[in-house]
Amino acid sequence: MMVDSIDRRKFLCGTAGAVAAFTIVPNHVLAGAAGQRPSDKLNLAAIGIGGMGASNINACSSENFVALCDADDQYAGKVFDKLPDARKYKDFRVMLDKEDKNIDGVIIATPDHTHAVVAMACIKRRKHIYLQKPLAHSIGEVRKLTEAAREAGIQTQMGNQGHSSEEIRLLCEWLADGAIGPVREVYTWSDRPVGGDPWSDFPIMARPKETPEVPKSLDWDLWLGPAQHRPYHPIYHPMSWRGFWDFGTGALGDMGCHIIDPAFWALKLGQPTRVEATTTHYQPEIAAETYPRASIVRYEFPARGNMPPVKLTWLDGRLMPPRPRDLEPGRRLDGNGAIFLGDKGTIIHGSHGAGGLRIVPETKMKAYKRPEKTIPRVNRGQSGHEQDWVRACKNGKPASSSFEYGGPLTEMVLLGVLAMRLKDQPLEWDPVNLKVTNVPEADKYINPPFREGWTL
Amino acid sequence: MEQKKMTRRGFMGTAAGVAAFTVVPRHVVAGSGAAAPSEKINIAGVGIGGQGGADLRNLESQNIVALCDVDWRHAAGCFRRYPNAKQYKDFRVMLDKEDKNLDGVVVATPDHMHAIVSMAAIRRGKHVYCEKPLTHTVREAKILAEAAREAKVATQMGNQGQASEGTRLLCETIWDGAIGQVRDVHIWTDRPLNGIDKWYWPQGVDRPKGEDPIPETLDWDLLIGPAPMRPYVQRVYHPFVWRGWWDFGTGALGDIGCHSIDPVFRALKLGYPTSVEATCTLVNNETYPVASRVTYEFPARGDLAPVTLHWYDGGMKPPRPPELEDGRKWDTNGALYVGDKGKMYNGRLLPESRQREYGKPPQKLERSPGHYMEWVIACKGGKPAGSNFPDHAGLLAQVVLMGNIALRPALKEKLLSTKLLWDAQGFKFTNVPEANPYLTKEYREGWARLYRLMKDD
Repeated sequence: MMVDSIDRRKFLCGTAGAVAAFTIVPNHVLAGAAGQRPSDKLNLAAIGIGGMGASNINACSSENFVALCDADDQYAGKVFDKLPDARKYKDFRVMLDKEDKNIDGVIIATPDHTHAVVAMACIKRRKHIYLQKPLAHSIGEVRKLTEAAREAGIQTQMGNQGHSSEEIRLLCEWLADGAIGPVREVYTWSDRPVGGDPWSDFPIMARPKETPEVPKSLDWDLWLGPAQHRPYHPIYHPMSWRGFWDFGTGALGDMGCHIIDPAFWALKLGQPTRVEATTTHYQPEIAAETYPRASIVRYEFPARGNMPPVKLTWLDGRLMPPRPRDLEPGRRLDGNGAIFLGDKGTIIHGSHGAGGLRIVPETKMKAYKRPEKTIPRVNRGQSGHEQDWVRACKNGKPASSSFEYGGPLTEMVLLGVLAMRLKDQPLEWDPVNLKVTNVPEADKYINPPFREGWTL
Repeated sequence: MEQKKMTRRGFMGTAAGVAAFTVVPRHVVAGSGAAAPSEKINIAGVGIGGQGGADLRNLESQNIVALCDVDWRHAAGCFRRYPNAKQYKDFRVMLDKEDKNLDGVVVATPDHMHAIVSMAAIRRGKHVYCEKPLTHTVREAKILAEAAREAKVATQMGNQGQASEGTRLLCETIWDGAIGQVRDVHIWTDRPLNGIDKWYWPQGVDRPKGEDPIPETLDWDLLIGPAPMRPYVQRVYHPFVWRGWWDFGTGALGDIGCHSIDPVFRALKLGYPTSVEATCTLVNNETYPVASRVTYEFPARGDLAPVTLHWYDGGMKPPRPPELEDGRKWDTNGALYVGDKGKMYNGRLLPESRQREYGKPPQKLERSPGHYMEWVIACKGGKPAGSNFPDHAGLLAQVVLMGNIALRPALKEKLLSTKLLWDAQGFKFTNVPEANPYLTKEYREGWARLYRLMKDD
């Protein structure tokens, strides 16, 4: 690639269209471009591409992928093959050094524990970023990323694609319309970590004792990133890292950014004043490694404007909320979802972006006179989530779940994860200073130490 | 033994003068302190390797005349302690041979045998002390309670806490209106895990493959009893850890529920619930889940408001109440009563300053001579024991065990669409007919006769 020193970000934000001709675009992109000028395209890189990243890349296939990076080039192999012209890297730091001038934006879908270091490296180079949910692994990291992104003036999007959905907007409009009156109680739940498929089943186990050889395709040290060193084992990578404290954020971190997102937006929850969790037992040798089999997290949000305080409960591990009175007998509650209990009625929805949104019972839904749609829609709804970010990168108007939204959402979610660590006691939360005011021990989880050689 | 047709129960209750006819084993005479041997009841223990042994130690003031266990190695300690007691493996043989010598039977087998052993004893007119939970199924608890009433035998379930001062103070405090109308009660236990470093017993596990040789000391077929036969695997079922298996035990709820829900029944005068709702971690057809939440709704009773009972196990707890002072332990096993005017946590008003201010409630309940002595007194014709089957334990056990039905894996999908609604009159769930077969169970061939005995004999 022969891109000169032009600041591509600035260019793409609309200030320097005339210079477009200087950009040399790979042939394969030209061939597939149908109607779009090559110069309008973003040059993208992606880091962590074997899993969810692959699908994010796919959704951005309208753009140019100039570089791909994964700590495991075998796991990434399929994506590498699909985009043969993109240069391939193992180490995101090397990639960013070499491709700095060629990249407008970066899609990041590494395991949770490396979100922050990878994203921060991109932010420092003022690359736009699309970052998988949850925004980061610790609350401290989330806050730093949110602030850094704001300062850098880049376009960001967190990968909670449901936030671009039609239904989440309907929920906001209906609740604002008073469809079920003031909401005082919300239940949210997920069947993970035992959802029943490889993506949603996380192990509950002690640290493996065997130390098999690291596969040649994998840079284990790099995969570990800022996490404390431990021997390689295939249980961690791919996928199952979600169940380990050191790498993932459990069922709540995984699904909370999807399932609590609608309540967070529609009820303008902000940060809770208190949170308390209970879980299945922590057996010491297992507790040190993996999230519990099941947990119940209870958040208390104060009154907001004319909205009353809200109690929000999260359940996972196949625990279900109590059946709401308004739900017709025989009507099934899904394995993932939410219930809003208002003074004048009940709303339920499913997993992502308030999918399956209904007022219950159905008679009440049918009788409901829907208010006017006032919130701007995202083109193609939640399928358009990545493209909404592409659009933001190009026109400079923030994407639907920019870090300004995704950051606070993730802080709230991860506070619940923290409560699981410090379970069975209410945590009094100071969201300004990121302090649990009544449990000083919490600090080490809010800003956990990085391994030697890694900083934000 | 020379008692002829006279039953010992009738004898004990009515005809003390005939005492001289009773031949009492020498060791009893030797060890017997002040009480005349004739005032003692003759007890047999069935299932004596675990809690049964502890029960018998609490009844040593009486005559322990026969001991029965399917595993003589497991029972060895108990055999040594009562060297003059006759030893049996099969409770049926024991009841046949010792019929005339026995006044009462202590049943502490695994849960799946409780009803059968207890019923066999009741049918012979024996008094029964049976470990909690009273039975393995809801229907067994109902039938056993009815049979005990009919036979007019003295019964007691092994929930010792019912006799405690604490239970009485709790009832009297609540009846005194100290926390107003109680609308929610939260009960929790750390079982089946102990939260430190091991299981009390495993749940949420599958049946192991393979088979081990059955130890010579163990009659495996007899341990299986009415349950479907399965291969013996050492340490997986016996001893003690049968509790986690659907076929033998009743899980954390069955084990602890009869202890910790007992005071709720007494204080709030509960009967049958109107609905049962449960949720749990992954569950299979072999073992109970690792953790569960069960919610019972009870209707208003006279002046008492409707109440919701929340059960938690597997280490889960309700939210810590704000009234509980910093630094006070939010216990691994507990009870929280939430009333209109206050809360009680593990038997004390919250906060502690409130309890101190309140002091003691007016006494309304008679104090107990002790849980085991209650049964002995009842056996001798005195006042019925506090947890006797017909008046109390039968109902308590039924309600506790209903929670387990709501956890059944086969009903899980269905129960995502509704809660279980209970019809007390019809003794059935009205809205989920698939749940009703779980009120009872299939009995293995050869045990069906005994089961019929339970119903018809």
